[in-house]
Amino acid sequence: MTPDEKARFQARMFTRRALIVGSVQLAGFAALAARLYQIQVKDESRYGQLADTNRISTQIVPPPRRGRIVDRTGVVLAGGEEAFRATFTPALARDPEAVLRLVARVVPLDEREIDRLIARARRQRPNEPMILASDLAFEDVASIGLLAPQLPGVSTELAERRIYPKGSGTGHIVGHVGHVEQVAIDDDPMLRMPWIRGGLSGLERYMNPSLAGKSGRVKLEVDAKGRIIGEIERIEAVSGSDVVSTIDWVLQEKVAAHLAGERCAAAVVLDVRGGDVVAMVSVPGFDPSAIVDGMSVQDWRRLAGAKDDPMLDRATAGQYPPGSTFKMVTALAALEAGVTDYRQRIVCHGSYALGGQVYRCWNRGGHGRLDLVGALRESCDVHFYELAHRVGIDRIAAMARRLGIGQAFECGLPAGRAGVVPDRDWKIGALGRSWYPGETLHAAIGQGYVLATPLQLAVMTARIATGRAVMPRLCLSAECAAGAPASLGLDGGALELVRRGMVAAVNDGGGTARRAQLEEGGVTVAGKTGTAQVSRASARRRDGALAWELTDHALFVAYAPAEAPRYAVAVIVEHGGSGGSVAAPLASAIMADALGRDPAARPPISLASAGSGGASR
Amino acid sequence: MRRGAEASWRRSPSFGAKLMRIDWLMLSFAAALAVIGTATLYSVADGSFQPWAERHALRFLLGVALVIAMAFVPPAVWLRLSYPFYGLALAALALVPILGNEALGARRWITLAGISFQPSEIMKLALIAALARYYHWLAPERVSRLRWMLPPLVMIALPVMLNFRQPDLGSAVLCAVIGVATMFLAGVAWHHFALGGLALLALLPFGWHHLHDYQRRRIEVFLDPELDPLGAGYHIAQSKIALGSGGVEGKGFMMGTQSRLDFLPEKHTDFAFTMFAEEWGFIGALVLMGFVVALIALTLLRSARAPATFTRLVTAGFSVSFATYTLVNIAMATGLVPVVGVPLPLVSYGGTAMLSLMATMGLAMSGLVHGSDIPERDEIGPLI
Repeated sequence: MTPDEKARFQARMFTRRALIVGSVQLAGFAALAARLYQIQVKDESRYGQLADTNRISTQIVPPPRRGRIVDRTGVVLAGGEEAFRATFTPALARDPEAVLRLVARVVPLDEREIDRLIARARRQRPNEPMILASDLAFEDVASIGLLAPQLPGVSTELAERRIYPKGSGTGHIVGHVGHVEQVAIDDDPMLRMPWIRGGLSGLERYMNPSLAGKSGRVKLEVDAKGRIIGEIERIEAVSGSDVVSTIDWVLQEKVAAHLAGERCAAAVVLDVRGGDVVAMVSVPGFDPSAIVDGMSVQDWRRLAGAKDDPMLDRATAGQYPPGSTFKMVTALAALEAGVTDYRQRIVCHGSYALGGQVYRCWNRGGHGRLDLVGALRESCDVHFYELAHRVGIDRIAAMARRLGIGQAFECGLPAGRAGVVPDRDWKIGALGRSWYPGETLHAAIGQGYVLATPLQLAVMTARIATGRAVMPRLCLSAECAAGAPASLGLDGGALELVRRGMVAAVNDGGGTARRAQLEEGGVTVAGKTGTAQVSRASARRRDGALAWELTDHALFVAYAPAEAPRYAVAVIVEHGGSGGSVAAPLASAIMADALGRDPAARPPISLASAGSGGASR
Repeated sequence: MRRGAEASWRRSPSFGAKLMRIDWLMLSFAAALAVIGTATLYSVADGSFQPWAERHALRFLLGVALVIAMAFVPPAVWLRLSYPFYGLALAALALVPILGNEALGARRWITLAGISFQPSEIMKLALIAALARYYHWLAPERVSRLRWMLPPLVMIALPVMLNFRQPDLGSAVLCAVIGVATMFLAGVAWHHFALGGLALLALLPFGWHHLHDYQRRRIEVFLDPELDPLGAGYHIAQSKIALGSGGVEGKGFMMGTQSRLDFLPEKHTDFAFTMFAEEWGFIGALVLMGFVVALIALTLLRSARAPATFTRLVTAGFSVSFATYTLVNIAMATGLVPVVGVPLPLVSYGGTAMLSLMATMGLAMSGLVHGSDIPERDEIGPLI
């Protein structure tokens, strides 16, 4: 090989190898292009989202204030008050326990509360502030400020705090707010903030969406260290709207005063035309202010487990046998079925026999021959045993439901119970046994399985008084809009007969409810007593001094004026004794107050004048 | 005849001819990349020429001047300087652990006469020159002899090991790739590469043992990013998010959110590509890679046309070096290889890397400009 050939050979070899090296490099770039295609073209949307979560931090802005709850005249039942609160963010302190112990020297916290806070600081998410105290005196705020260097994570701020100026008189209606972690109302992320309160009972809970307002949102652009670069989007928070209750505070206080002497009682005053609940009292009551800022577990147990259960709203959630107040239902069912009429008289000898069993009338001596009006006047059990035997349980139950029993009224009364309207299907479903004819007789006089709430009895009375399907409402909102209720479709003559019976019970000689008469003349009250038997007759007759728990419930329902009904009242005194002697005078006094004040004559204030600015939902 | 022809070849071209023969196309491809780099660094600094973009552009202009200046120097000078320069570079590299300034847990810089530089970057240039010098001298028939393969292997192994110890895994890999590719281009027989590959596989566990914990961690995390999404895997994950969110058309110049908001680490150096591709998208990335491919293809083409071994190997060495830098850097940014700290040539901020790369180009340019005006194999000694 000549040097020239050698050189050419070498050059060719180099060209070949350079080509190989170049191909390898090109393949590398092709692979990178493919990789970039995958990341930037195919998976773009996925990475785009990842990039946004990377850089966007969403912060919740709580509404500036929670809506107030006012009565129909504008009296504030629930409102806000500015107060200093101290919060502590565990993540900001190296030793949260030491900080909390130090804070306790300034903020009035007892040993038990400190232990509870320390336990919570360990348990909860460290970045979430927790409330140490929400009603600090200015001196305490100043002390915390002085000690600030030793109290990392502790801060004080002026914040709104829920107050209930009317105290325990409003507990059951207005309800209360509290930590929402106890009850999840919805999954609004705002509710995760520790100082956000949600309604947990009563109107606070029912109207929570209006009252709470809407939380705002700020989307911030942040860098990798969480520093804020700019604001991308801001949705303003909306303050809660005020809610107007149908309650008339003045009347409410009077009703509460009448019931103050009773151990456990409830009363409902209903405007029979619109269904507005103008007063509703349950005794014993509770002061919602005590619960707002979270009470200790012990305090909560004490309240929730207290004797006579003050947290129970007896007016809407107390279920009682209605006793003789149910006799109107039986009467209307029998009249509608045509098994009796205004002339029919039924003889009472003090007892009624059916299937080898004897069913007693409350009057052992018997009432003699009575027509329907007379039977309602004297509350003759035997008369209604006979009517019930003729008409049957299913038609009685149907009538009870038409009159509002067996139904939990939703409007503003979230904890309301439905009561029990028994019939054949109900017994098979609930107890798995078939219906006995004797049980129809018990039901006819509001005993046995029948259970009703005072609110239902007030509604029943209003419906009998008007013949219309009155619906109760506790607040003014779109859902419970007022309007003339539809007719129940009951025969006018039948209704008139029952009303006459109720008028006679109060006003005629021999009537069981004569103590419900109004002292001031001119207004005629129609009513019906009820004495709901709690224990078996045999157990109670022997012993004159009966234990409280075994004494009958005293009930009374009434409407007035009889000629042009305005208000319906239902009163129950738990274990109070006889309806005629205990409940009737209370009802009469309440009715006198209701008629005297006549709150339904003035329309409730409008939301605008309540100063909310925002409309109810 | 040969002598006469030689005489005419050996006549050094005139100044004007040299200027004409400088590969202006190659320089313009490089300039395009430098412009991309300057724009990216301008964007990284939130629309400011400080602190990076201006210096980057100035360094590139300095590099262009260096290329032209080096091109006018006859290759004979470079041949003579190759070994001493290699020795000096190796010494500087060896001195890094002793004299070096520590940055980010690794000593890579030393300061001489007030100038800080990275010996590992200069080492690549020195290695290319020294290997080219060796094969220029070595008779072609000896190239595949084991005995004559030993000196270049040692020349490669020394910087690889020194870089490895620094620790600078990226430079170690680059030196190894440049060295092996140069041996391949010099004509070493195929079977040696096959055997070498097998030996390397056998030595892999040993090499793993000698890695630093953080290097091992990086490789482990690279193989399974779930191991540490917020720690070592963070760089890869953030880089992919930035790239992916750029999409086809990119977010636009100065609009890259990920890089801008500091989610992206090292965006002016190792992750400059991510920064660029987030703002310019897939299209921009293809354009950038297009310039790189054009530059390396052109360089390889020129090397194949070069009449002398030294010129061929230096020119091809520049191509291989440039391609490997780019491939490793982009593969790193797209999560294909572990994060090893290799800059994107002419785009990433970094003086030593830029100037030593331009010097490599200048070396190649000198050979290309002077054509056959280079000492023959038998005119140079083994060492001097």
